[in-house]
Amino acid sequence: MVTRSDLLKGSSNSLLLSLLEQQPMYGYQIVKELEARSQGYFKFKEGTLYPALHRLEKSGLITGKWQMLPNGRQRRYYYITARGQAKLALEKSQLQDFLTAVKLILQPEPSGS
Amino acid sequence: MTPELIQYLESIRYKARLEHADETGVMSELEAHIEDKIHELTESGLTEAEALETCLGEMGNIKMVARQIYEAYSQGSWKQALLTSMPHLLFGLLFVLNWWHYPGWLSIVLILTLATTIYGWWHGKPTWVFSWLGYTLLPVLAVGIMLLYLPTIWSFLALLIYFPMALWWLFRIIVQTNKRDWLFSSLMLLPLPVIIGWYLAVSPSGRFTEDSLQRLDYFAPWIGLSFMALALTIAAFIRLRQRWIRVGLLTTSGLLTVALIVHYTAGRLNTLTFFGLVLVMWGVLLVPPLLECQLRTGRKISWRHRHLPAPRPE
Repeated sequence: MVTRSDLLKGSSNSLLLSLLEQQPMYGYQIVKELEARSQGYFKFKEGTLYPALHRLEKSGLITGKWQMLPNGRQRRYYYITARGQAKLALEKSQLQDFLTAVKLILQPEPSGS
Repeated sequence: MTPELIQYLESIRYKARLEHADETGVMSELEAHIEDKIHELTESGLTEAEALETCLGEMGNIKMVARQIYEAYSQGSWKQALLTSMPHLLFGLLFVLNWWHYPGWLSIVLILTLATTIYGWWHGKPTWVFSWLGYTLLPVLAVGIMLLYLPTIWSFLALLIYFPMALWWLFRIIVQTNKRDWLFSSLMLLPLPVIIGWYLAVSPSGRFTEDSLQRLDYFAPWIGLSFMALALTIAAFIRLRQRWIRVGLLTTSGLLTVALIVHYTAGRLNTLTFFGLVLVMWGVLLVPPLLECQLRTGRKISWRHRHLPAPRPE
């Protein structure tokens, strides 16, 4: 059986790229956004976010930059790259096809219509 | 920072085994995340202690987080794989192409090895430096062998002084290397049993004679091939992410290479020598982690405050 954590693991790259496509974010902000937008559905061990972000960065899909805040603290903001945007577009399209296929099976259109 | 938080971060830092350049950034990010989280939890009414407990629970256990960080950073590029396997390839080529006859080539390879090692050692000890470092042990071994040619009493005295000094130096190198990762100590020492095995095959008495040269000539292609096999192993090691597969690869490759030496020397190495070589190979694979355990238990936790990379001007 596919668990929620399996689903999250399988789509974590797309979710992270999708969030960063909208605006640059730092780690803690990503966790909060992911939780808020999925209404608590996507909740994972927060320490594992950074390895995922760093893998994406190493693949050239995102880039991280340290920024100084007015209060003197520093945060690392992540930005999606052009390569990341291309990858996200491809993954979105594949996911859309998959969801359409799943929907066709779960909610079959009445025959004869 | 509270002692629990220091302990948590220090344990992750220790287990993730990152290069110094990456380590500071990764640990600073985790620290900033935890501070944000604790701040938010205390704002919502939890005490400091409750907030810390909740926060660390939601961060995930140390082993899992450290393993994932390790795997995110462990895989080297193809360029790094080539650079790391280069000393094995060079020594392999020396024998496969019979260049070992020419002192010029030998000197070039040795000087190149020494220069590359010194450069890497003083430039942040990147992963590739450890395989080069292994071959800088060769001159130390060679000097030890040359001492055998002194008159008996002088030879005995020289060895009595030289061997403890050489072993102490090797111990210091292993300790320094273990600070990065004990696996790199094993990687560094991997050619040692192979070199000892071939040396015993060409000079069973321990002394290098005219006959040894002839045997060396005869075994040269196989010696070259065994170094090439090490080069392939190291290239694969650099490209792998998972730690346990890396350990398995070094173990299998080391033991197989020793078995191949015994096979190709067709009876020149007796059973006792074979088991001796296997023992040396196990030493190469087991001494560094055991040493690390010993050193770690005696080491106090030290958390250096972060020095972040300078922020980019916007």
